[in-house]
Amino acid sequence: MEEGNSIIYGLEHQTRALSPQYGESDAIRFLIGTQSLKPNSNQIHVVELEEDTGALHTKVFKHDIGEVWHLRCSPHDAAVLLTTHNAYDSATSQCTMGVSIFKLPTVEVIPKDLDELSAIQSRNAENMEVLLTVNPEKPEEEIRCAEWHPTDSSRIGVVCESGLSVHDVSSGAALSRASASARLKFTGGKWNPHQGNAQFAVLQDMHIKCYDTRTDCTKPSWSIDNAHRQLARDLDFNPNRQFHLATAGDDATLNIWDYRNGKEPIFSRTDHSHWVWTVRYNTYHEQLLLTGSSDARALLTAAASVCTDTDDDGKKITQVLEDGVLQSYEQHEDSVYCAEWSAAEPWTFASLSYDARLVLSRVPRHFKYKILL
Amino acid sequence: MAQSKDKEENPLDIDGSNFNPDMYMDCLLKCATLKQVMDKEAEVVTQSQFLQSEMQTLVYENYNKFISATETVRKMRTDFKIMQEEMNKLSENMNKITSFSTEISDSLRDSGNNVSRLCGTRQLLDKLQFLFLLPTQLNKAIVDGRYADAVHDYSHAQRVLQKYGNQPSFQSIQTECSEIIYGLKKTLRERLLSPDTSASELAQCVSLLRQLQETDSSLQDIFLSCAESRLDQHLQSLSSMVESIDILEWVEKCNSTLLADLGIVISCYHEMFQDKDSTNIPDFADKIMLQVFHLFEEVVKRPDNIGTDILVRGLDKFFRKLQAMTEIISSDTMSNKAVDVVIQCINHKATIQYLSIQSQFKDSLTKVRQSLASKGSETTDLKDILNSLQVYLMQKVQASLLDLMAFLQNNLSFGLKPWCAKAVADTCWKVITETMVNLSEMVKKMAYLQTSNNIPFQLLLILAKLCLEMQESGVTTLHTHLLKLLEESAPGLTVEKRDTNSIMVHLSTAAQAALDSEVVFIGQTAAQMLRVSVLARDWLRAPEPRGPRAVCRRVVETLAGADSAASQLFPTSMKPSSDSSRRTIWSRAPSSFSPLNRIFSERIEVFSPAGADRAALSNGALKVALKALVECVRLRTFGKHGLQQLQVDVHFLQQRLSCMGNDERLLNALLEDALASAQLRCVDPQLMEPSIVDIICERG
Repeated sequence: MEEGNSIIYGLEHQTRALSPQYGESDAIRFLIGTQSLKPNSNQIHVVELEEDTGALHTKVFKHDIGEVWHLRCSPHDAAVLLTTHNAYDSATSQCTMGVSIFKLPTVEVIPKDLDELSAIQSRNAENMEVLLTVNPEKPEEEIRCAEWHPTDSSRIGVVCESGLSVHDVSSGAALSRASASARLKFTGGKWNPHQGNAQFAVLQDMHIKCYDTRTDCTKPSWSIDNAHRQLARDLDFNPNRQFHLATAGDDATLNIWDYRNGKEPIFSRTDHSHWVWTVRYNTYHEQLLLTGSSDARALLTAAASVCTDTDDDGKKITQVLEDGVLQSYEQHEDSVYCAEWSAAEPWTFASLSYDARLVLSRVPRHFKYKILL
Repeated sequence: MAQSKDKEENPLDIDGSNFNPDMYMDCLLKCATLKQVMDKEAEVVTQSQFLQSEMQTLVYENYNKFISATETVRKMRTDFKIMQEEMNKLSENMNKITSFSTEISDSLRDSGNNVSRLCGTRQLLDKLQFLFLLPTQLNKAIVDGRYADAVHDYSHAQRVLQKYGNQPSFQSIQTECSEIIYGLKKTLRERLLSPDTSASELAQCVSLLRQLQETDSSLQDIFLSCAESRLDQHLQSLSSMVESIDILEWVEKCNSTLLADLGIVISCYHEMFQDKDSTNIPDFADKIMLQVFHLFEEVVKRPDNIGTDILVRGLDKFFRKLQAMTEIISSDTMSNKAVDVVIQCINHKATIQYLSIQSQFKDSLTKVRQSLASKGSETTDLKDILNSLQVYLMQKVQASLLDLMAFLQNNLSFGLKPWCAKAVADTCWKVITETMVNLSEMVKKMAYLQTSNNIPFQLLLILAKLCLEMQESGVTTLHTHLLKLLEESAPGLTVEKRDTNSIMVHLSTAAQAALDSEVVFIGQTAAQMLRVSVLARDWLRAPEPRGPRAVCRRVVETLAGADSAASQLFPTSMKPSSDSSRRTIWSRAPSSFSPLNRIFSERIEVFSPAGADRAALSNGALKVALKALVECVRLRTFGKHGLQQLQVDVHFLQQRLSCMGNDERLLNALLEDALASAQLRCVDPQLMEPSIVDIICERG
């Protein structure tokens, strides 16, 4: 995978779920969930990029429980993943959503020898072990996403359109919940990796609200009102700066906030030409942000001005990158709903568009050297 | 000559020097006849006899003379003897006289010395008397107020007193005098410091003090500080008057009190100290003038003095006085400052002008906004509003330019100066640019605030058009107007060509921002309707479609309303023939949703800059609305009837919207995308027959 050459992997069905394998620190692996209303046709694809050769290896698992709307690998165990799924029951002519935890039989993707290769090629999609399924209390309730607790492997946060609940992994019992108002539904959310890992931030229409899950969650512990002029679509916490978070929304902007002062974003760019569906901080180099939008582009943006550190003398270390778009990745033909950095390698990322195209790309080398040197 | 030579050398000439008797005789004997020889002989004999007698008389005569001379010499010898004796006697007498005279002078010397000593003593006594009288004299003079006499007397006596000051008798005088003088100095200083003394009295005091050997620098300081305190009083009274009187009166007061006194002070200073480098005065004058300028600025800024006429007249007076002062002070900073004051005035005036234009324009905009908000877009003629706004703005600017020309009147002291003309030209141009830039900024701000502030989209259209009009013609018109005015007021002034580019950029970006905002606003309004309607509906268990949903009509109305508003202001480009609009979009295979199709179609930029014509504006709004429909459809799950309902909706939208915008391919691509996405999200994807869809659409 040389400069500017992205690797493309195509799937059969529509896709809007992508996750890096957080628990894996050596191999560059991404998991994709498909979205198809046909019964028993959905799959989880595990894609591994062999760094030396640039070869792509895949393994396919069945996901018969329904179409995948959201997918998160466990940060605690590389083989465990969490899907938010939806299935149509023709008997009741009703859709039911749910959250399930699966365990992959093996995390290995690259075949060890030719025999195994042929075995993989001949074999169909493998099965995964279901550890737990959580269904909403009301059957028609829509689940937006489910997120692993950053440190406690026994907890997951589930965002439904009407509320947020934290569940125990072993029993599936709800530990605490916060409800949205009837008019302004939740559209997504994430754990705050700082502040003792107890805060869960949710997207509610144009606003960001963060609840402390240890409380009764009647009142948010902090919030950013009108974070976007239209619907807010995604958020991501800065992995290193505890008060910074990035948000993306239907006004096509990427905003970075210091939530202690949620009046004005500290950084704002409008580089996409349609709704921005996803935003991700690079875990190692927080000044790099990845956004995916329904204008069928993934953009690599530098927000160096809000990520400059001060050295021991209190002087600002000169920022190496100019703020703004570093690179636009245009290999997609349809809306890009997911974009994720690799968990194992700081310079590789994947973007996934609705037309089932996964594009694996790298940060251009000259930017990489600029940051490193 | 030859003849004479011959004669001279002729040896035959008896009177010549070369006479040769033998030759003569030979010649005579040879040449002459006997008779002739005989005659000759006789002649020679007579001549010889004559000569002989003549010689004898001569001898006799000379002999007599010699005899008498000898006698005379003998007589003289006896006379000299007598003389000698006389002379001896004389010298003896002379010696006697000399000895007598020395005797006399010796005897007289003593008395002469006495006399001269007496004279000296008398003079000294005179002086002493003067000295002894000095204190009383001084006192008297001081009491009479004749300070100058007192100082004069004292300065005369002072040297003596200094010399003999150690003698006890003088010491008392000296101490007395110095006490008096000390008192005098004190009085003088007091007078210096007292506020009632006039500047000329002040000068006198200082010159007296100076004669009393006060050191120069301290005197200068005192003088200046006294003058300053006096001038400060003027300043204070002037500053207290700032609020109460108008500029003309103020300038009058300032000229007659403060500036006049300052002039006196400075000229006195020059007279008295004849300061070669005169370091203090410029600083001093600058310090005072700085405050004066400061006050003047305040006066100018007072709202009462806004009237151009009164301002110009006041400024004229002030400037005249300043010029006069400049000659006295002869400092460059002063004259520069005076020029600055005028320029500042002009700038201030211009600032007021364009600020008032801005606020007035803002007011009129608010009115327009209210009228737009109260009426529907159908009833208002946007073109009329645009025209009135444009004319209003142009007139305001032109009026203020004309107003500024008052600074160039011929009769003003600064009116015809090139720097003034330049300043006026500059500020006029500034009025134009500031107005335009402000217009742009205002429009940009409105465009930015649009979504949160609910500004009518018609206003955005009008403002965008206004900016474009200004860019196209307004700025140039104003520029030529300005040049004309300048030519009239200051003929012959060369004004450099102004750079209009940056204003143009401002205006065009503002217009673009307004258009973009309008497009996004309309698009988002429609998108919001579609989004809410798509997300709220249960598509899975929807009933069979009876007609297009109401929201589709509302979307069409919204878009059509914006389109008609845009058509009032922006030229309609030629619409392509609408043959193809008949073609229904599902004439292609239902499985049209494939990456392959997308490869061949262009990427659609949804939030992209809008062009300044009706079709482009409508295209922009359509894109925003329909792309939102696509994205929302993908988030839902459809049943068979839900899909068919959407099919009807899409068909309806396609029919109604194809008359807007000019990019049918775009419209169809987006609608096709929406339907294809719905098909993918459908659990039982069965489309209706196109003919049935047509019927349902018409029935609805």
